[in-house]
Amino acid sequence: MTQPARTYWRSLEELAEMPEFAALVERELPRFRDVVNAFDRRRFLQLMAASMALGGLSACGTEPNPRQLVPYVQEPANVIPGRNRYYATATTQDGYATGVLIAHQMARPIKVEGNPDHPASLGGASAIMQASILEFYDPRRAQTLVGGGEIATWEGFVAALHDRRNALLSRKGDGLRVLTGAVTSPFLAAQLARLQQQFPAMRWHQWQPLHRDNELAAAQSSFGRPVGRTFDLSAADRIFGIESDLIAATPGWLAYARAFAAKRRPAETGGEMSRAYAIESTPTLLGAKADHRLGLRPDEIEASLRYLAGLLGAGPQEWAQQDNAQAAWLKAAADDLAQHKGNALVHAGREQSATVHVLVDAINGALGAFGKTVRLVAPVEASAGAKAQSLSELVGDMRSGKVDTLLVLGANPVYDAPADLDFAAALRRVPFSVSLALYDDETALASTWRLPAAHEYEIWSDARAFDGTITIQQPQARPLYGGHSAHQVLGILLGGGSGDDHTLLREYWQQRAQQENRGDFAAFWHDAVRGGVVPNTAEPPISATPRGDAVTGLPSPMAPANGIRALFRPDEGTWDGRYAHNPWLLEMPRTFTRLTWDNAALIAPGTAKRLGLATHDLVEISVNEVKLTVPVYVLPGQAPDCMTLPLGWGRAAGGLGAGVGFDVYRLRRAADPWIAEIASVRKTGEVDRLATIQGQDRVLGRDLVREATLETFKNDPGSIVKKEKPASLYPPFEYPDRAWAMAIDLNSCIGCQACTIACQAENNVPVVGKDQVLAERIMHWLRIDRYYSGPPEAPTVAFEPMPCMHCENAPCEVVCPVHATVHDHEGLNVMVYNRCVGTRFCSNNCPYKVRRFNFYPYTSQNNRPAQSWNPQVSVRDRGVMEKCTYCIQRIRTTQIAANRDDRPLRDGEVVTACQQSCPTQAIIFGDRNDRESAVAKRKATPIDFVLLEELNTRPRTSYSALIRNPNPAIKGNQS
Amino acid sequence: MAIFGPRANLLMNATLIGAVGLGACLLLAVWVVPVIGYNTQERFAPEQPIPFSHNHHVSGLGLDCRYCHTMVEKSSSAGMPSTAICMTCHSQVWTNAAMLRPDQQSLAEKVPLRWTRVYTLPDYVFFDHSIHIAKGVGCTECHGQIGDMDLTWKATTLYMSWCLSCHRDPAPRLRPRDEVFNPHWRRTPSTASGDTLMAQYNVRTAHLSDCGICHR
Repeated sequence: MTQPARTYWRSLEELAEMPEFAALVERELPRFRDVVNAFDRRRFLQLMAASMALGGLSACGTEPNPRQLVPYVQEPANVIPGRNRYYATATTQDGYATGVLIAHQMARPIKVEGNPDHPASLGGASAIMQASILEFYDPRRAQTLVGGGEIATWEGFVAALHDRRNALLSRKGDGLRVLTGAVTSPFLAAQLARLQQQFPAMRWHQWQPLHRDNELAAAQSSFGRPVGRTFDLSAADRIFGIESDLIAATPGWLAYARAFAAKRRPAETGGEMSRAYAIESTPTLLGAKADHRLGLRPDEIEASLRYLAGLLGAGPQEWAQQDNAQAAWLKAAADDLAQHKGNALVHAGREQSATVHVLVDAINGALGAFGKTVRLVAPVEASAGAKAQSLSELVGDMRSGKVDTLLVLGANPVYDAPADLDFAAALRRVPFSVSLALYDDETALASTWRLPAAHEYEIWSDARAFDGTITIQQPQARPLYGGHSAHQVLGILLGGGSGDDHTLLREYWQQRAQQENRGDFAAFWHDAVRGGVVPNTAEPPISATPRGDAVTGLPSPMAPANGIRALFRPDEGTWDGRYAHNPWLLEMPRTFTRLTWDNAALIAPGTAKRLGLATHDLVEISVNEVKLTVPVYVLPGQAPDCMTLPLGWGRAAGGLGAGVGFDVYRLRRAADPWIAEIASVRKTGEVDRLATIQGQDRVLGRDLVREATLETFKNDPGSIVKKEKPASLYPPFEYPDRAWAMAIDLNSCIGCQACTIACQAENNVPVVGKDQVLAERIMHWLRIDRYYSGPPEAPTVAFEPMPCMHCENAPCEVVCPVHATVHDHEGLNVMVYNRCVGTRFCSNNCPYKVRRFNFYPYTSQNNRPAQSWNPQVSVRDRGVMEKCTYCIQRIRTTQIAANRDDRPLRDGEVVTACQQSCPTQAIIFGDRNDRESAVAKRKATPIDFVLLEELNTRPRTSYSALIRNPNPAIKGNQS
Repeated sequence: MAIFGPRANLLMNATLIGAVGLGACLLLAVWVVPVIGYNTQERFAPEQPIPFSHNHHVSGLGLDCRYCHTMVEKSSSAGMPSTAICMTCHSQVWTNAAMLRPDQQSLAEKVPLRWTRVYTLPDYVFFDHSIHIAKGVGCTECHGQIGDMDLTWKATTLYMSWCLSCHRDPAPRLRPRDEVFNPHWRRTPSTASGDTLMAQYNVRTAHLSDCGICHR
């Protein structure tokens, strides 16, 4: 075995080589430690007897007759069974749209793909977007319209709202309030504007918990007006992130991530590569990809940024004179940024204070970034007011009895409003409150009327992307559970009766198209709906430079905390809590913690040691005089003295997510939404077992990741990956025709988990639940392994997506007693489910641990309608092994289509689900035998390597080594 | 005293014959039962809502297969004719036939007909009609003399061994593309040989018996 160039570790326990951990590995069957102790012999016999006795009952009951053949009465045009048809629409998150194409099988939506023509997607689709299809089918969605505590009808609600309308008209709308999330929909904005005309005294409020008020406030002080910032990463050679969500969550991040990755593939760009710096309190994706990263406390971040501003001439000179522990690092970074004026970019995450954002604007100004790497545009949101202030005003008025009619459209303030506002108490004072919500959530249950909302895929609407581009959203199906849209509710209030959203939207666009001289409306409408983009709607850039006095007027620097600070951060999967009922997202391993089914308080290893805490410990923390018991997770790379608390968990009502995790909103205050002092941390002595998959496989000194610096790559690329000709006594098996293969670029992978969920959606991969995850039975066919190297306080991160390697000498095949896993003539390692008898020998013999076993009938236990499964892929039952197939269903359907037309398959025609969703194009799939194919070209680069080459498995999946571009001026601090 | 009574021989013989008989029954159960028509439902015509006759429509009237099975060249599924397709003719002919009552009811009430499947494949088998048609496999190769059937019955076992018999050696089952839908086609001396057609249609057999061809 070759010795690894550097030591990688996956968990702190592994790094410390604690005796318990060694014992765990030594035990013959670590996977069964949860199962064997689950019940004793007596219980086992009881269960067996009961199952024998009740066995016959399974024959009772009626099942739909599988032998029936049901044709159409009148077949719809253009529906071809077995073939995907795509319809364009958009998904929105916090109001911002990302274009999607939804694949339909016989008119049933089954899969979400990114729309390549949409600027916010460019073909990529995030994990949350992928999971939206499960939300659409979720049978736990609200289905019953309730008014005054009794089941009511839509007509009943329309009549009640009409009565209310008449009363409101007489007093010009006094007492009428509408509360929405961030609105980018031009049509919804137009409806609200008309409502304002009809009811002059009415007020429209906006609230979303993960608001960007600080960015907005900074824009106000830097530019004197609200502006949005969009970024051109294709021009950015130097990037400096301050806990930045630039490639993780900011609107447009899919497009940014693509441009970011395109500049970090030196093997394909002729040795050119951007350099990224990151300073952050809690790990971010940009921080993981950065060439230099510092984990800093929030006060240190602000101080460092002032220092940087001073060095770059973006602030007073004396800022650069102050003491800073990181002075050398910051000086080197500042020099580097200054040398790349016009091609440098600084970005801060939404959680950073307004001060930080003002400093960022000033530094970007000094670096000449505006107009080049940063573009200013008019705000995309219809009303770019501060959300926290808007909600505070509403609550104040509700409390003083000024509000008698409240419409909550797509917001959930009872759950996610700042705790000090006590929205629930204020809501009880409103006599007529309406909540339009997808689930029977906390706000819906507290309102006098709760209306099931139609899903985004069930309505006609429109929405704008980060750059302003408008998409007309078309429904993918009639409302499955009888929901209605916000447009319909507002339509009634406007006196338009119960008009359907299609007519309303079309009328609006007819007028607008006429004003904008868009020619024939029918043609315009058809093209816009079909293509998923309304042409020429992106906001033109505004030229502006930050005012010089903005930085001088900044408040005094943040003081270091006496104890520990709590940081409130969005969750990767549940976001602000709106996706907390989505099983795919609940079971998605989080990028750094690899946690599923829980959120945890993240603290640094040093801080944990000082407090005597370890992962899984339950602690009681007291913040803003509220006590909360949370499990601790010790996270390498977390800044000292701060505890990150992911929002969006601990839902009280709704669906599957109710009662899962802990609710951090209880600690949050309106004035300080992202940070708070923790008054006390008390160890309860109890332990909550967190379902993290990180320690479930071990590195054990194997050489799994290759990385090198750009310098090495330029000087001696051959030294990064040592290629050995694998020896064999047998002649190699020839693949004369086609040889399917995959190449994954570790430079491009940002660890966003989009591929994992895309694979789950495409391949009918079931959800197993927390208990099963703890028993190491998670089913994902594709996981993104996260490796650390370096010291635990400031580690370097490497992400490595792990699908099946499709080894040519596959160890799984030789041990299968029933030939359930065999090779085909194109080199695919095929899994034949109907042969599998469940010995699990193959999984034991797989060195890459990518095989998954159905210990229980997970697929039938998953509560989802039959039509939501992908009909192109077998749904596996209990007792069957499964694994990545390279999306064989996509290979076959594409091959059949080509063969039918008697033409050769083109390179790039077969696209696997993971490849299609990947925002950064890290995954390439194709025919290795075709020298001109993209996959063959990537495999021909000198940094291409395969995992565990010494085992002579000859994997078809290979990786490009991770190349970092460290600043030579920063010595020994490459982390 | 004799150890063996007078009936011992009889018992012995009965035991031996019984054991052989039992063995034969077991062999029968293992080898024969799976392939008898009762089990495979070969030559079995299930009851249908309308006693549709392919013989009458295809051989008698000369309708093309694709008139009703519209998807067969494009899709994995051949497509069962919608009520509307039946009604293109039957809104004019045999309008009063009691036999066609379910059809008329389906159209009037917009409730689809429910036919009973004759050919059923397990869910883990992904068969594609269109590619077989494109490669010159005639309908009758799998569906038998469908054009002469008064009631539709299953002409083959649909066992995997039966699929593989052709996937391993497709040449004898191929015919010129323009004869694919001919229910009474016979190979004549002037017909291009199977091997010629294999080359012409780019049928390569190396992959055809790979598991992943049908199982996904």
